[in-house]
Amino acid sequence: MKLIETPNTTRLLPAVALLLLSVTTAYLLFSPAHRRSAQRDKMQFVCLAWQEEALAAYKSVVSDWNKLHPESEVEYIQGNWNSIQDYLVTGFETGDVADIIHYESSAIVDFGVRGYLEDLAPLISDELKTDIQEVGWASVRRPNGEFVGVPLLLESLIILFNRDHFAESGIMPPSLQHPWTWDEMRNAARALTKDTSGDGHIDRWGAGMGLRNSSNMILNLTIGFGGSYFRRENGAYVLRIGDNEKKLLSLLMEMLYQDRSMSTAGLGLSGPAMIPSFCSGKYSMLVSIGSWSRQQLTQNAPKGFRWGVLPPLKALTQQIGTSAQTLSIPKASTRKREAMAFIDFLANRDNMARVAAADWMVPARKSCLDLPKFQTTEDGWDVASRSAQYLAVGEWVGAPGYIEWKSRIANPIFQELFANRLAVDEAVKRIEEESNAVLRRYQQRDQRW
Amino acid sequence: MKQKTIFADLATHIGLLAYVSFLAFPLVWMVSTSFKSTGELYSGAVTIIPQIPTLEQYKTAVTEGMLLRSIWNSFTVGVLSTVITIAIALPSAYALSRFRSFMNRAVLGWILVTQIFPVILIIIPLYLILRSLLLSDSLTGLGVVYIVWNLPFVLWMLHGYIRTVPVELEEAAMIDGASRWNLVFRVLLPVLLPAIAASAIFAFISTWNEFFFALVFMKTPALGTLPVELARYTGMEGIARTGPLAASSVIASLPSLVLFAIMRKWFAGGLLAGSMKA
Amino acid sequence: MPVVLLVVIFSVLPLLRGIYLGFTDYRLGDPITFNGLKNYGQMLQDDFFWRSFRVGIIWTVVVTSGQIMLGLGLALLLERRVRFSSLYSVLILAPWAMPPIIRAIIWRQIYDVDAGVINATFQSLSFLDKPVNWLSSFEYAIPAVIIVGLWGEIPKAAVFLHAGLQSIPNDLYEAGQLDGANAFQRFRHITLPLLRPVLAGTISLSFIWNFNMFGMVWVLTQGGPGGLTRLPMLAAYEEAFRYGYVGYAAAIGNVMVVLISIAMFFYLRTQMRESTASEIVK
Repeated sequence: MKLIETPNTTRLLPAVALLLLSVTTAYLLFSPAHRRSAQRDKMQFVCLAWQEEALAAYKSVVSDWNKLHPESEVEYIQGNWNSIQDYLVTGFETGDVADIIHYESSAIVDFGVRGYLEDLAPLISDELKTDIQEVGWASVRRPNGEFVGVPLLLESLIILFNRDHFAESGIMPPSLQHPWTWDEMRNAARALTKDTSGDGHIDRWGAGMGLRNSSNMILNLTIGFGGSYFRRENGAYVLRIGDNEKKLLSLLMEMLYQDRSMSTAGLGLSGPAMIPSFCSGKYSMLVSIGSWSRQQLTQNAPKGFRWGVLPPLKALTQQIGTSAQTLSIPKASTRKREAMAFIDFLANRDNMARVAAADWMVPARKSCLDLPKFQTTEDGWDVASRSAQYLAVGEWVGAPGYIEWKSRIANPIFQELFANRLAVDEAVKRIEEESNAVLRRYQQRDQRW
Repeated sequence: MKQKTIFADLATHIGLLAYVSFLAFPLVWMVSTSFKSTGELYSGAVTIIPQIPTLEQYKTAVTEGMLLRSIWNSFTVGVLSTVITIAIALPSAYALSRFRSFMNRAVLGWILVTQIFPVILIIIPLYLILRSLLLSDSLTGLGVVYIVWNLPFVLWMLHGYIRTVPVELEEAAMIDGASRWNLVFRVLLPVLLPAIAASAIFAFISTWNEFFFALVFMKTPALGTLPVELARYTGMEGIARTGPLAASSVIASLPSLVLFAIMRKWFAGGLLAGSMKA
Repeated sequence: MPVVLLVVIFSVLPLLRGIYLGFTDYRLGDPITFNGLKNYGQMLQDDFFWRSFRVGIIWTVVVTSGQIMLGLGLALLLERRVRFSSLYSVLILAPWAMPPIIRAIIWRQIYDVDAGVINATFQSLSFLDKPVNWLSSFEYAIPAVIIVGLWGEIPKAAVFLHAGLQSIPNDLYEAGQLDGANAFQRFRHITLPLLRPVLAGTISLSFIWNFNMFGMVWVLTQGGPGGLTRLPMLAAYEEAFRYGYVGYAAAIGNVMVVLISIAMFFYLRTQMRESTASEIVK
């Protein structure tokens, strides 16, 4: 038998365990990096930058601030888009959250409604108020007049196109003065769709569109058609789908299944995820993609790849819905004035311009838009900046239950529609019914909205 | 007879190869991605061998952010909490399987509930408790949480293994004049080594890969653990900087693979062979 | 023992609070008010809950039975100890070595419509003529996700069952061989009965863990397409963290605990009874 003759093993084992426990606790408690600082001497700024240029820009703004204001130092905390929601929910509930929060207007509004955010209205300077575009303020303003954040960058949906494909097919891209209508884009897509390898299968699609979680994009584009899905009737929110809303849906379905000029691969992808295929020539146009994704193109496209940006398509108008990337201060913060001073610094003309250029988005300030960087024809900056005049805030911003509506009703039904499992009318009927049920439920409970 | 063995061995090899190809293929793909340049990743080419192998992703992975520091954090928390968990679980599992008492039933019930109830919902009260004990935002606190939350399933597994060992083995030892705890442990330990190794590896991996607690409890960047650090490469709308992410992940996978290689020989059992005869 | 104290503070207390929340109407930012069984009434009529519960059951049964059978097969193969066994036993742990975040992302790459290995290979071998949208087509999403689930869980089952196989004394096999039993009979009458406690433990734990699977599926599909892959934990997560209905989510958690505990109780009772019987027979 394998027996190790060791006396008093019974007493040894727990003793060893206890020793281990105390040693590790001591190590963890007293080793300097692991000690929790009793009070934070730096303010924390949770930032969602992730593209390489943007990371560098935000970090350099923070270090500039720290040099100028050593008594109110800011610590840069890297957040990420996928887990920021969880971080904020738990942070707000426990009261341990950063002093300055970088997030998106449509999501941060929710936290404002729950009472977690400081109303910035009294803290915003007049200079800021007049210089930031009205659409930016509209995205962060609650019906009761509170401002839940300062808009920093505006999201703009643009269209990318492959210059070589256009040249090959003899298609002239539209100019800013004479933009295309949706029908003109549709015709171009039809002409561009080809089977270049001759094997009987289309390998070059005229258009690609990221339809994975499309409700946000659809709503934003529908504004141009004069539709809004959400409406206020007698002070309450309801959802009505009329011809204005249906036009876009029918057009997309026809491009997908009648013209076959739009690839169904987009059903499972978001717009930016289609960029690699755009670079390899599978799509001649990428419709409705965030302007920030141009950075992916400039950094990663193969050498000699010629691309451009089309001006927003004209339906009834060229309007597109938008949301802003915002900076907010939680009510739980103990250093609100200093936090606001940092926000003022980050949102001043030069820094905002720096960050907007690095993240390839539209800055919220009018004075930034006039800067030469945003007017150059390189990389479609002039188109992106000019599109700022068409940005609008949808009726649904601030609607109760919008987030639940998006993921429970709108996205799944749109997914079924675009997968051709529903006809447009069926989908419309279902959306109307289910949405109004949810809206009713929210508005019965809630007087806070 | 010999032909039968050759055939059986061949079949075994084929079977194992099939499993390994399925299980290890994504790892191969990840390694391959980590050596591709970002340009190549964007070209839409689907190849296992990078067209132009490069180390640029590794450079980014190591210099941007705090990869090495987070690996160290995860490693210390993982090893220490696993060792302590096993040390606590072993005697407790023994008691659970050999004795019957009310306490034992309560423990079994607690094990079940901890595994089923959605952990994400208890995170806020847990955080508040940690903070009141001044353990929030500290690796000690995180370690304690991991110990307490790994304990249930380690207990459950060890309990199952101990029940597999015939009681006769211990009775034989006791007949030889050993006190229950003392020599019985010396007898059981070698037999249970594969089981302990399996549970230890699993506890370590759970801790190594754990994301949610680490995200919520650690507010200071220097105390971040590996999974939270890796998340920095994911971006908006479901796309990620796959190059640096793959490179960081390869680096992150190395400690686990090394651990597996070391622990592997603990799996080679057969220690029970012949022990019944005595 | 001081351990009990630790466990009570860090585990039992938060759990009790979580369970209690299931009986309140707690919404983030609101005060908490007790509302008795109202959440459960709402759940009975909640279509989303029932759909995710159904997906959860299908997922759990398929993945658990798959991983146990395949894992047992793998464990038996490793048992045979051929050359390179040691290399194999490290390589099969590849899914474990990969951090969870990258597992889902790599699989998304593999399943990618345009640039994924599967579509590229199948097309070049002429199995497919058009690329398939694996993760977002209504036909293939569930099987695709199940395959990833199996991939991630087989190593766990294999390792635990292999360890269990180690504790079965070799003499019993030799005795069986002398009695003229072939491999199959030895497996049925020696391996299986003696493996029972480990098997039962692994099956029950895997069942529970698979039902609660969250992270990887979330990154793969986010519950899509059309809610087809919205497992119960995804539903609870959305309720609590996206919509703010923490009370309702906790109620879902309570229901899951009760239902699974009942299932486990019946399953384990049969296992325990049979194992004692076989000990006598031996």
